[in-house]
Amino acid sequence: MNPRIVVANLIVSIKSFYRARSTLFFMIAFPIILILVFGALFMKQDNMSFDLCVQDLDHTDSSAQLVKTLDIDGRFNVIKIDPAINATQYTKDNKLNLVLMIPKGYEGSFMQRMALHNPDASVTLTYLYDPSSIFVSMKMQILNSVFAGINQKMSGKPPFIRSAETSILAKKYRFIDFFVPGIIAMSVMTLSLFGTVNLNTELRQKGVIRKLSTTPITRTDWILSNILYQFILAVISTMAMLLVSYAVFRINLHIDAWLPLFIVLDVFAFVGIGMILTRFAKDAESAAAAANAISFPMMFLSGSFFPLEMMPGFMQTVARILPLYYVNEGLRASMVFNDHMAALRYSAIIGVFAAVVFILGIIATNWEEGQ
Amino acid sequence: MAKEAEYAIEVEKLTKRYGELLAVDDISFNVRKGEVFALLGPNGAGKTTTVEIIDTIRTPTSGKASILGMDVTKRKHEIVPRIGVLPQGFSSFDRITVRETIQYFSRLFCCRKTDVDGLIELVNLTDKAQEQYKNLSGGLMQRLGIAIALVNDPEVLFLDEPSTGLDPRARREVWKLLLGLKNKGKTVFLTTHYMEEAEFLADTVAIISKGKIIAMGSPDALIESNANYLVLTLKPVDEKAIEIVRTMGFEPVHDNHEDIKVRVEHMDDVQKILNTIKDGGALLLSLDVRKPNLEEVFLKLTGEALRKNPAGGVAE
Repeated sequence: MNPRIVVANLIVSIKSFYRARSTLFFMIAFPIILILVFGALFMKQDNMSFDLCVQDLDHTDSSAQLVKTLDIDGRFNVIKIDPAINATQYTKDNKLNLVLMIPKGYEGSFMQRMALHNPDASVTLTYLYDPSSIFVSMKMQILNSVFAGINQKMSGKPPFIRSAETSILAKKYRFIDFFVPGIIAMSVMTLSLFGTVNLNTELRQKGVIRKLSTTPITRTDWILSNILYQFILAVISTMAMLLVSYAVFRINLHIDAWLPLFIVLDVFAFVGIGMILTRFAKDAESAAAAANAISFPMMFLSGSFFPLEMMPGFMQTVARILPLYYVNEGLRASMVFNDHMAALRYSAIIGVFAAVVFILGIIATNWEEGQ
Repeated sequence: MAKEAEYAIEVEKLTKRYGELLAVDDISFNVRKGEVFALLGPNGAGKTTTVEIIDTIRTPTSGKASILGMDVTKRKHEIVPRIGVLPQGFSSFDRITVRETIQYFSRLFCCRKTDVDGLIELVNLTDKAQEQYKNLSGGLMQRLGIAIALVNDPEVLFLDEPSTGLDPRARREVWKLLLGLKNKGKTVFLTTHYMEEAEFLADTVAIISKGKIIAMGSPDALIESNANYLVLTLKPVDEKAIEIVRTMGFEPVHDNHEDIKVRVEHMDDVQKILNTIKDGGALLLSLDVRKPNLEEVFLKLTGEALRKNPAGGVAE
């Protein structure tokens, strides 16, 4: 390896990149847009409240008190429906997913239970719902828990079983805190993979690689300078992502030496894969298609966006053979859980993988028959 | 102490096969130090494959090629710093300027003493030194390619079709540049399908067809030994003159203009043809008599034109 050659190559790559302003924008903007969109979504989930339509057919003080209780609970934004209209038709016409119907006679039953202590007095509230809605079951569960609380209070006895929540984490983390390390891992992967494939196939098609093969630059120099270049881009991109995440979502993550280490390993692994793809793809289009075929399943299966627990068992097994999974888990271990032993374990796995594909990348890069 | 190699390039029984295709077929030749050697042939003849084996881009199927006494397959790392290469269809980094490109390639050769400004001046790109590569015209790109091939002050220069795709003026500028290099004593290995280029620049021309070298020597010697006749070019007013020439037993051939070319043995034949046309009442707009060129040598040796034109005649 010749450091002067690596640096010369790096300077050319950085100048070319800097002068292509649109690439600069999209490279930094894409992961930030993802963080903003998903972050906003998850923030809403953390403090989620639902609209709840209520049709009070009883129209009494007691039924009004029940509606008020639902409103005060904070998890529902109560919308009252005129008792005179057909609730089923109204639900269909307005594409509502749930309407709670308080029946006529609610106050009568309530008074029988509370004043006359009649244990048989009860009331049935109707959930008029659209089963195709993804949120309706969650709303019904919340309603059930609210009503269970009311029933408990009306019984006049303290609950027998109580629950206490104790987080395994020292601090309270939100979903965005778990999401950001996954997006860092994913964007470094796409930058390294597509950057390598696009650059190398373009230069090969144009004949620049053929010219380079008549100079003293070696395949190792070339790949190392590619890795160094992609690492610099990855650091810029990661810094931008972290800054936006801190500024907008006040994320709570540990930043230490593990972060650059995992970025380096991520870059090594995917530049190596990019080099291998470049060797076997005939042109830029087929190389980009191959890179897509690798990166898309990796994005969705390795836990960058969704927790692995959401996937079926066999897909979780698949995830554990994907290199991005170990980068995701390693970054979360260090940035979220501050678990150095786990980070070390994941870095060792991805490190071995990166070393193997780096060597294969060098072997696969064949300049002699470069055109 | 190693013996100084007599030849800059030695090629012996070189063969390159791509599956069933025999691109280079058992060719042998030597290039003396300081000479300009042109490999002349039509597209697909095997010129680029041959030069790319010699300048270390490709590996041969069999045979041997040496540069400055070093085997190209075994001592690439020693050869590369001593040669300069302009590959076919040269291209560089789009957003890097002329000056930066030369500096970059100079750094690849670890040349601290490269005179970047001198090279820019040599290829007449001083006005374009700060221009990005993508904004250069085809001729300027080729000149930059030649400058890059010179960054390490090479002993042997390989130029694969340096003027292909250039307009006549840009081509002349490249020739002028190459002539300057020849006068500096560089060994230049050139591939071309322009016979004028080979005739103008080369000390030795090797004609290659279908992977084989079919003739080799100085342009004059090749013409002398393979085309010992004269070419009479006529521009007739109508078909009458052509008929007269044909009835005299000559074979008039249309070229890409309205001219016809007639191959004659002596000047007496020229006089005879002109007299017969005049007596036959036909008219000529112009006429020209000249010695044959490498184009005709190639045509005679292979039965094919170096470059085809739509009319099927021989291009200028």
